[in-house]
Amino acid sequence: METTSTNEAVTNHAVNSPSQSRAMLAADNLTKRYEDGVLALDHVTFEVNQGHIYAMLGGNGAGKTTTINLFLNFIEPTEGEARINGIVTHKEPLRAKEKIAFVSENVMLYPNFTALQNLDFFARLGGQTGYSKDDYREVLLRVGLQEEAHNKRLKGFSKGMRQKCGIAIAILKDAPAILLDEPTSGLDPKAGFEFIRLLESLRDEGKAILMSTHDIFRARDIADTIGIMNQGRIVMQSQKSDIAGEDLEKLYMKYMAGYMEQVN
Amino acid sequence: MLKYIIEKELRDMISSTKFVVTFAICAVLILLAFYTGAQNYRVSQSQYQAAKTENLRQLEGLTDWIMVRNFRIFLPPEPLAALVTGISNDIGRSVTVQGRGELATQDSRFSDEPVFAVFRFLDLDFIFQIVLSLFAILFAYDAINGEKERGTLRLTFANAVPRAQYILGKIIGSFLALAVPVLLAILLGCLLLPLLGVHLNGDEWLRLGLMIFAGLLYFGVFLMLAVFISSLTHRTSSSFLLLLVIWIFSVLIIPRTAVLLAGRAVDVPSVDEIASQKNRLRSQLWSEDRKKMSEFKPTQNGDPQTMVSEFNKFMSEAADEREKKMNELASRLNEDRHNKQAVQEKLAFGLARLSPAAAFSMATTNLAGTSMDMKAHFLSEAQAYQKTYAEFMQSKTGMNIGGGAMVFRMRSGDGEEDVEKPIDAKELPEFNYAGLPLDRVVGAALPDLGILALFNLLFFAGAFVAFLRYDLR
Repeated sequence: METTSTNEAVTNHAVNSPSQSRAMLAADNLTKRYEDGVLALDHVTFEVNQGHIYAMLGGNGAGKTTTINLFLNFIEPTEGEARINGIVTHKEPLRAKEKIAFVSENVMLYPNFTALQNLDFFARLGGQTGYSKDDYREVLLRVGLQEEAHNKRLKGFSKGMRQKCGIAIAILKDAPAILLDEPTSGLDPKAGFEFIRLLESLRDEGKAILMSTHDIFRARDIADTIGIMNQGRIVMQSQKSDIAGEDLEKLYMKYMAGYMEQVN
Repeated sequence: MLKYIIEKELRDMISSTKFVVTFAICAVLILLAFYTGAQNYRVSQSQYQAAKTENLRQLEGLTDWIMVRNFRIFLPPEPLAALVTGISNDIGRSVTVQGRGELATQDSRFSDEPVFAVFRFLDLDFIFQIVLSLFAILFAYDAINGEKERGTLRLTFANAVPRAQYILGKIIGSFLALAVPVLLAILLGCLLLPLLGVHLNGDEWLRLGLMIFAGLLYFGVFLMLAVFISSLTHRTSSSFLLLLVIWIFSVLIIPRTAVLLAGRAVDVPSVDEIASQKNRLRSQLWSEDRKKMSEFKPTQNGDPQTMVSEFNKFMSEAADEREKKMNELASRLNEDRHNKQAVQEKLAFGLARLSPAAAFSMATTNLAGTSMDMKAHFLSEAQAYQKTYAEFMQSKTGMNIGGGAMVFRMRSGDGEEDVEKPIDAKELPEFNYAGLPLDRVVGAALPDLGILALFNLLFFAGAFVAFLRYDLR
């Protein structure tokens, strides 16, 4: 394995550094220290090109959601920068957000609105004002939401149905990059499978997808690049092809343990 | 973008069951207030007409104007008092006019019908001040932190949405969603007014319009406050609790505490204390006059008519002298009380205006003509009438009889009773009450309207700034 050190504890498996290419999503020495002194993200560097899926693996508090929050400019970095299509998110947040769609762990839409009304509102917020009801129906069917649910209020929807609406909203925005924060968490196996197939189709359309997840197996199944995060750092970063023959679960545990030893 | 957020807010609120139930209740309450107000107005009108007729009927059969005692004038019901009762039911609706002396109101609606004092009337002041302010809180306490708790805030701001537009859209959308149904119910009530027998003139329609405007400003204060508190907190339970505490202080505690504090700070002599001092002087003057009366000696020409005339002249002069002295004391005591009362009221109202509820109440009662000015204005109109009445009596009897006079009946010696013509009560000058003029009521309401606008501006700015710094995660 070729290793390039972007920080001391990182093993980087042939992944380009942001300075070498103009990636759709790029984290460049991204660091976040909160006001209480907690270092949530420590010089994280990675990039995601168009038509690629980057899976951030890691336990709770590893820094995955902080990374996503920095891309969405919900918080500002202490050091470094997050870029979307070359636009630095904390400098030009509105321009950057035009290029990105987001699906959260637990998609919560407006419960008094129907699925179609929710899609209409968020599509307009995303700058897409030309869609018709038929377009919304088509996307909902594409993400697997049955037609009889389209005009029902969200308050009666299961988590899987809401996730489908969430990904439909992301599709409607037609942004070149998609952020997913634990998107398959809590989904049943069938819904999880369908969700992953949908992500594959989006990748095939050329979207750059950054996904945080606890799910090693789904990450291995779908990701082009996997980054293992621990305590705010990327402790391993590798192309899927480089770890094809390896047991990702063992690798994950090895890097987590190795990093812990190094830290200790 | 702003348009989408406003539309979303409108649709989100209107499509909830909470909204439908709440505003059904609200519409019923508003229409009920208009209906009961109109009914009360009609009852007050008929009572007013009956009292005026009875007052004149009591003069029937009197054959000399000098026998007219306790002529009463009445406060006509104000149409707008049907919608904002203010102090209209607490103050006396009639004044006994004698031609001289101090005037006092008597026979308030609540003293005549105390059951209404226990269960006060439902009016627009109550509905706005209590019910609608609570509704504003109920619908807006989770405007921002509720979106955060639901997770929709993250999804919204994953898009290129400027924060300023979002908070502006939230406030405008919430205001429209809540205010439009209230306005519709009020407009329906306004349309029903003429059908219910309450006919307003142009000035009164304008005043009603300003009252509704004051209501919307007040409603806006609590809406902005709720959005502001919602932008300061991250949990809906915290914002709801905080808003409830602020509401209790604003609506229930501050106005009452202000009056209490002003009462403590400025000592105003009570009406009883003043009356006691006046009574002491009156007794003293009467005892002096009684002594003079016992020493009264008519000119010795033996003509009884001349004797009566001289005695009445003597009595009138004594009454004038007594009144002069009484007036001197009364005006000194009244002026002192009035000045202290003015300071106390100024302090009480100034402190109470820290509460938007008090500012709203003062604005609407001023516009309805049922504020504290109502009693003073009625008394001042009554004072003016008393002068006209005194002049009339002077012309009819040759003296101002307010101080008391003796009536001697002279009979001719042939045993036949003189046929005396009864007085015509219709000759009495009519009391034409002119309500407070438009410029005065609007002028009195303007500072409170300004205060409500200022509260709106402050809370809007607070919500705006707080949201610009709000943690969206």
